[in-house]
Amino acid sequence: MVVFLGFANLLLTISCNLIIYLFEQVMSMKFDTSGLESHHGMLFGARDELSSGLSAAPSFDIPNSNDFDCFQKEAIQMVKPAKGTTTLAFIFKEASQSVKKIIEINPYMLGTMAGGAADCQFWHRNLGIKCRLHELANKRRISVTGASKLLANILYNYRGMGLSVGTMIAGWDETGPGLYYVDSEGGRLKGTRFSVGSGSPYAYGVLDNGYRYDMSVEEAAELARRSIYHATFRDGASGGVASVYYVGPNGWKKLSGDDVAELHYSYYPVEPAVVEQEMVET
Amino acid sequence: MNSQQIYYIFDLCKSPNLSLSLSFITMAKQHARWSPYDNNGGTCVAIAGADYCVIAADTRMSTGYSILSRDYSKICKLADKCMMASSGFQADVRALQKVLAARHLIYQHQHNKQMSCPAMGQLLSNTLYYKRFFPYYAFNVLGGLDNEGKGCVFTYDAVGSYERVGYSSQGSGSTLIMPFLDNQLKSPSPLLLPAQDAVTPLSESEAVDLVKTCFASATERDIYTGDRLEIVILNADGVRREEMELRKD
Amino acid sequence: MNLVDSNQAQNNLMVSEAASERTLYPYVTGTSVIGIKYKDGILMAADMGGSYGSTLRYKSVERLKSIGKHSLLGASGEISDFQEILRNLDELILYDNMWDDGNSMGPKEVHNYLTRMMYNRRNKFNPLWNSLVLGGVKNGQKYLGTVNMIGVHFEDDHVATGFGNHLARPILRDEWHANLSFEDGVKLLEKCMRVLLYRDRSAINKLQIAKITEEGVTISQPYALKTFWNFAAFQNPTVGAEGSW
Repeated sequence: MVVFLGFANLLLTISCNLIIYLFEQVMSMKFDTSGLESHHGMLFGARDELSSGLSAAPSFDIPNSNDFDCFQKEAIQMVKPAKGTTTLAFIFKEASQSVKKIIEINPYMLGTMAGGAADCQFWHRNLGIKCRLHELANKRRISVTGASKLLANILYNYRGMGLSVGTMIAGWDETGPGLYYVDSEGGRLKGTRFSVGSGSPYAYGVLDNGYRYDMSVEEAAELARRSIYHATFRDGASGGVASVYYVGPNGWKKLSGDDVAELHYSYYPVEPAVVEQEMVET
Repeated sequence: MNSQQIYYIFDLCKSPNLSLSLSFITMAKQHARWSPYDNNGGTCVAIAGADYCVIAADTRMSTGYSILSRDYSKICKLADKCMMASSGFQADVRALQKVLAARHLIYQHQHNKQMSCPAMGQLLSNTLYYKRFFPYYAFNVLGGLDNEGKGCVFTYDAVGSYERVGYSSQGSGSTLIMPFLDNQLKSPSPLLLPAQDAVTPLSESEAVDLVKTCFASATERDIYTGDRLEIVILNADGVRREEMELRKD
Repeated sequence: MNLVDSNQAQNNLMVSEAASERTLYPYVTGTSVIGIKYKDGILMAADMGGSYGSTLRYKSVERLKSIGKHSLLGASGEISDFQEILRNLDELILYDNMWDDGNSMGPKEVHNYLTRMMYNRRNKFNPLWNSLVLGGVKNGQKYLGTVNMIGVHFEDDHVATGFGNHLARPILRDEWHANLSFEDGVKLLEKCMRVLLYRDRSAINKLQIAKITEEGVTISQPYALKTFWNFAAFQNPTVGAEGSW
């Protein structure tokens, strides 16, 4: 009798599994039936996208489209990422200097943003995390060379997927000032002065004309500010506030942040108009 | 299928002439194609004050020229001192709200407290960016109180670029409302040095009235805004709600 | 962190090339469904046509189905996808029942489930080509909601899919009130269905009306509406449109 019951039970289990298996085959959809079972093994073992708050970040969702490129093209058009920028940075005798749309990566390093606002913001935030982790693992700050290479490598991994980033990583490390240009096409250049963004040709004009290595901080700040101002003047897509940062041996410091509309009046003061003829009531 | 064919799958909005001229390439094109996105319209506004925050949105939900619902709330409570107003594609907005709610629940279990508004601000940014290659078509403003009890507003694009501002507007009526708010409030840019406070100088009731005016005007010209206005006011006393009827045409 | 790991991204792209059995366009479709709340519950109406493009291929398609004890589902769009949804819901209700704890899913839960199912499929670029109306009553709470093929969903006092959105909902907005009796509700639905019959070419004169109350679901036998085709605009549609024939 006992043997018979056991056998019947076994049979039931097999047929149940079979049914569930068939359902899966047909509908490729599975219900959570774990509650119907006696043991709750998942209570502390649950590792899904949501509960991984501290450890790994959830991975990127890729559209299941037949043509990724075309979908991206359409999608990007829909989300209209913020763009239109002028940024510049240069190294001179005392330190390096960078201007406008700046992200503070850590107290010794800055990143400028041009291109897709979300792409720049997110990957700089990500870079900030990586730099801090490097610091904790190695008991020393990451070099500008290393940091810029981290970013360049990440961006290269996503090459061709529609990211739009044009950035300069400026900072101070054990070797002194460092300045790198990194973009989403995979480019990474070391240099002493760069300008990036839609207004960059205008900024370069002023910057190259006024640049000397042996400038004072004040001179350098003024050159940077003037370059950005003239870029916003000629480039319709640039405008807003021109921020000037200075990175020295003790980290960065924000020197100024001026509305370019007000800068205009300091570069081109309004002259009192000479009244040639006054209207007089007759 | 070649790439050109597929390109038109996501192209329901292009002029019919263009689609027609290409229809000889394949017979399949005469069939209705689908788009994974829709724009369900709606307008959101948030204003931060010294000790309050006002978040508002209309309750109309549309598709094309049809109104689906006249009473769909676009405002979602994410934490005790944090509200999100969203417009765009309703299904994406809902998915986004559910993800944030789930993440916030986990946060509460781990930290035994409510998430602050600036923390939720960055969580929202990251959540949006993780869908960078298949974006949530959602335009959000986050309003609430920061840890000092000051009003705070965060404004976003669809892929997660964000900024703390004094006021903001998103959605179909934002092109009408934003310049008006700029004109009335013009909060100084957070980039300015010496730094100036970004919060608006208005009193709470003045801000609520301003929001009502904004929506009354936007409803006149934007067909995707209307029916009813929902206003949520956050301050030291807690949460208060107000309503106003809007044009239904 | 996986962020740098774009191999995963690339792999996904590869997979998408291989898996391509999708509904890219509908084959057999049903037209509008209308649902309203009334005094004691929910009423729903749909005709029984199954169109194959512009051909009326099937004339006895049941598009109103009961789901569990408390819900009623109406579907427009691809019929085969609707049948897949029904199979899924059957399984859902079965598993819900297997708990044997005296609880059962109400309309709100079923609607939420449908919402996630539709949205998940659109995320996979493999949509279920339907607009669904879900109504029900549980614990004295009436519920009426809808969801479409890309996951857009909402609740309302009256809902309609497809052409119903253009032709029936204006009538409902005008004439609906919360205190409708069963008879008045049916009259209102028939009025809407008649307008759809006149102006929606895929609508046919064979329909079902279903009601759901606290007591359960009743789906009517198929029947036809009385029609009147002698309106002046039907008899001579070109009057006032000079130059047309």
